[in-house]
Amino acid sequence: MEKIEPAEYEQRLNKLGEIFSNIARHADHQALMRCPYKNRHNECTAQFGCRFQKKPQGDGKLLLCTSDDKLDYRNAWEAGAEDYERMRENLRSQSGAGSGQTAGPGNINHAAAEAPSLVGKTIFDFADEFQVRVPTSCGRTGVCHECIVEIKRGHMALNERTEAEGFLGSDYRLACQAVVTDAAQDVEFALLRRNPRILLPGDSTTDQLDPLVTRQGDLVLYRDSDGDQPLDQYRGQMYGLAIDLGTTTVVLELVDLETGRSLYVASFENPQRFGGSDVMNRISYDAGPYAGEMHRSIINTLNTEIQQMCAALGIERHVIYEIVVAGNSTMRELLFNLDVQSIGQKPYKSLVEHEYLAGKRGSTALLEFARKLRIRANKNARIWGAPLIASHVGGDIVADLVAIDAASHDELMMLVDVGTNTEVVLGTKDHLVTASCPAGPAFEGGLVTYGMPGCDGAIESIWRAGDGFDYRTIGDVPPSGICGSGLIQLMAELRRHEMMTPKGVFANKAREFLLVPDREISISRQDASHLAQAKAASYCGQVILMRYLGVQPQDIQHLYLAGGFANYVQTEDAIEIGFMAPVHDDRIVKVGNAAARGARQMLVSRSTRDRIAQLISTIEHVELETTSDFFEIFVEGCQFKPMDLEKLG
Amino acid sequence: MADITDIQNEFIRQEIEEYIERVDEREKIIALYSKTSPDMQDIAAAIIDGQHETSDELTKTGLDAGISALQIMDDGLIAGMAIVGIKFRENFIFVPEVLACARAMKAGMKHIEPILSASGIEPVGKVIMGTVKGDLHDIGKNLCIMMLRGSGFEVIDLGVDTSADDFIEAVEEHEANIVGMSALLTTTMPNMGRTIEAFIDADLRDDVKVMVGGAPVTPEFADDMGADAYGANAVECVDIAKRLSGVTA
Repeated sequence: MEKIEPAEYEQRLNKLGEIFSNIARHADHQALMRCPYKNRHNECTAQFGCRFQKKPQGDGKLLLCTSDDKLDYRNAWEAGAEDYERMRENLRSQSGAGSGQTAGPGNINHAAAEAPSLVGKTIFDFADEFQVRVPTSCGRTGVCHECIVEIKRGHMALNERTEAEGFLGSDYRLACQAVVTDAAQDVEFALLRRNPRILLPGDSTTDQLDPLVTRQGDLVLYRDSDGDQPLDQYRGQMYGLAIDLGTTTVVLELVDLETGRSLYVASFENPQRFGGSDVMNRISYDAGPYAGEMHRSIINTLNTEIQQMCAALGIERHVIYEIVVAGNSTMRELLFNLDVQSIGQKPYKSLVEHEYLAGKRGSTALLEFARKLRIRANKNARIWGAPLIASHVGGDIVADLVAIDAASHDELMMLVDVGTNTEVVLGTKDHLVTASCPAGPAFEGGLVTYGMPGCDGAIESIWRAGDGFDYRTIGDVPPSGICGSGLIQLMAELRRHEMMTPKGVFANKAREFLLVPDREISISRQDASHLAQAKAASYCGQVILMRYLGVQPQDIQHLYLAGGFANYVQTEDAIEIGFMAPVHDDRIVKVGNAAARGARQMLVSRSTRDRIAQLISTIEHVELETTSDFFEIFVEGCQFKPMDLEKLG
Repeated sequence: MADITDIQNEFIRQEIEEYIERVDEREKIIALYSKTSPDMQDIAAAIIDGQHETSDELTKTGLDAGISALQIMDDGLIAGMAIVGIKFRENFIFVPEVLACARAMKAGMKHIEPILSASGIEPVGKVIMGTVKGDLHDIGKNLCIMMLRGSGFEVIDLGVDTSADDFIEAVEEHEANIVGMSALLTTTMPNMGRTIEAFIDADLRDDVKVMVGGAPVTPEFADDMGADAYGANAVECVDIAKRLSGVTA
C-alpha cells in the first residue's frame, strides 16, 4: 500500500479547511434570509413540521416550501413558534448582559417596531430583531453598499461614519456599519428599499407576440440588426424581463416569451435615493467623487431581485434571454453606465440623444450584453433600453404610449404621467407634443413631513369628519404617513372646508393641522407649499401644451392618467386643486403603471417596437422653460384651484 | 494559458461555464482541471453533483488502478469541492445541496482512510455528534460535521432526537474523546444538561470533553450546564474540537 507523508496530507486538509470555512461562513450569513433546510428547488429537507410546507404534486417528492423568505422562517417551525420568541428574549437579555451593557433608556425605532437601544449593536442587528429584511450580499462587511438605511433621527447616537460609508449623503448610513454608541438617545431608521404597491399589469395574453428571442429546434436565437444571433441551447424555457425603471419606484416583470404570459411581478423603491430624490440631484451626485455608485446600486439591487425571483419560481437565471428597460433618460443612462452630465445642463439632452441628433446613430434605443452591465441573466442575454423622445422625456413615456396604443389615436388625447418628473403628451397620432415638468418628490413621499410612497401604512384616502379627519390606509394597518393620492385628497378637502386659501394659507393662521392625533401625523404650511410647487409642474405641462395646440380641456376625448398613485387619485379632487385639466369624468382613464405594461409589450413584440419608433420620431418636444410667460403660469399653477385657461388667453 | 476546451469532462465544462463568473476564479479553476485526467474529472463531477454512490465507486476504482490517494484528493475530491464552494457562495445551490456534496466527498474519503492509517496518520480526534432528545433540527449540526471531517476528525453522527443513552453507548463503542451536542429549541436545550448528568452517572464524564451549540445556546448557558465549550457556528466548532483534543492550545 502506498504511503502518505503527513505534511502532504496536512496541506490537503488546509485546502479543504479553507473551502469549508468559507461555506460555513456563507451558510451563517445566508441563514439570516433563507431557511437552510430549503434546497435549490425550494423543497423542504427538514425532518420536522413547518407552517410553510406544502404537499407537492405527484408522489415520492419532497415537501415544497412556500415561504417568501421575507420574514424569519424559524417562527414557522413547529414546536418553535412561541418558544422561539422566548428564545429571542433570552438571547437579547443574554447578549446585553454578556457585553456588560444595559439597554436604553433610548429606543431604536423602525416603522411601528421599537426596541430598547443597546451600545454596540448595529442597525442591522435591530433590523433582524424587528424581522425586517435589509438587503445585503457581502456578509455585512460594508462592501456591497446594499444595506443603506435612512436615519430619520438620532444620528448623534451612532458611531462616526466608516470609510465604507463615504459615498452616502448625511441622512443615510449602511445598516452594517452604523453602531449605537449612545443608548440614551432614540434612533429611528427606515429602509431605503420598501416594496411599494403597484397595479399589476393586466392580462397579457392579448399582447402582440413576436419576440426578438426565438427558437429554432434546439437553438435559442436573438434577432438584432445583423440577423439572428445564437444565444444558447434551448433549456426548456425562454423568459424575458421587462423593467419599468422609475426615479422612485422600479417594477420588474418576468414574461414567458413563448406564451406572452406574465410569471412574476416585483416592485421596489429605487435604491439610488441616497443620491437625491430627483434626477437633477442624482446627476450632480454622479459628477462627484462617488461617480458610478448610482449605477452600482441599481445593478446590485436588480441582481438581488432577479435572484429572489428565480428562487421563488425555482428557475435558473440562464433562461432569461432579454431584458427591456423603460426609464426616463437619466435612469436609463445610469443603468447603462453612461455619462449623464449633459442631461443636467441646457438643453438637457443625454449624450445618446446628442449623437442621434448629430446623425451618429440611427436610434436612441440602447442595446448591450446584460453581462457587460454585470446583470445576471443568461450569459448571452441582451438588454434593450427603450428609445427616448427628447431631453427628460424618456423611455418610460414611450412605454406609456405603447400601453395606451397612442399610435392608433385619431381623437385628441392627453397623457399625464405623474412622478418625480411629470410628463405630458398631447395631440393625435398625427401630431403629438410633449413636455417634461420637474415636479419633485412631494407626491411620492419626499419633502412632505409625513409623506411616504404608496406602501403599507400609507394614508391613501382622507376626508374631513366632524372636527377631525377620517382616513383609510393601504393594507389597513395603522398609518405611518400619507401617500400621493391621500395628499391630493387632503388638499382638496382643506379647500372644500375652507381650511386653506388657494394660496395655501391655513385658516386662523394655523401653522399645521393635526390629521391623526394619536400618531402625531400632521400637515404643515411648509408641506402645502411643497405640494403647490409639485402640482404647479403638472399644471404648467398641461396648460402650456394645450395652449400650444390651441385646444381646450373639453376638446380632450381621452385623458390618460399614469403613474404609481394615479389610479388611487379621486379625479374630482385632482381637478378641484388644478392638478389635472377639468375633463369630464367618463373621458378619464387611469392607467396606473402604464410604463410597466408598455415595457412588457415591447419585450414580447418586435413589431410593437418598430411601430412606436415610427411614432416617436414625429413627436414634438416643447421646452417649458423657454415659454416666455412660464413664470406667470407657474405662479398661477401653484394655487390650489381649478385650472382656468380663459385667463391665460 | 489553459482553455476550457482542455477539460474533457463535459459536465465540468458546463458547470464552469454556467456558474463560475469571476474571471480570476474561472482561470484558476480551468488551470486546475485542465491538468487532471478524465478519471479524476469523473470523481469531481460526482462530488459536484452530490452522487455519493458514484464517488464511492470511482474512488475505489481509481485506487485499485494505482492512482495515488493524494492525487485523487487533489484532482477529484478537493477540485470538486472547490466548485461546490463557489456555487454555494453565489447562491446557485443551498445548504442541502452542499451537504449532499460533502457526503459524496466522504464516500470517496472512506477509501483513503485506510491508506492514511497505514501511513501512520491518525484522525485528529474522534467526535460523537448529535441533536439532543426531542429535537429534530440538524442542519447546523450537519455543517459542523462537514467541517470537522474536512479538518481531519473522525465523526460519528448520531443524527437527531438522540437520547442520553444513545450518546453514552456511542462514546463507549467508539472510544471517542469529544461529544458535540446541538439543540435548537429552548424546550430541548435542558436535555444537553441532562445528557451531561447521565455521563456523570455512567462515570464517563472525565473521559470525554463536551461541546455544545445551537441558536438558543449561549456561552453562559453552556457553562451552567457543565459543558466544556460552546461554539457559535461551524467554524468555531472546529477550533474548539482542535483545542479540546489538544491539537491546538
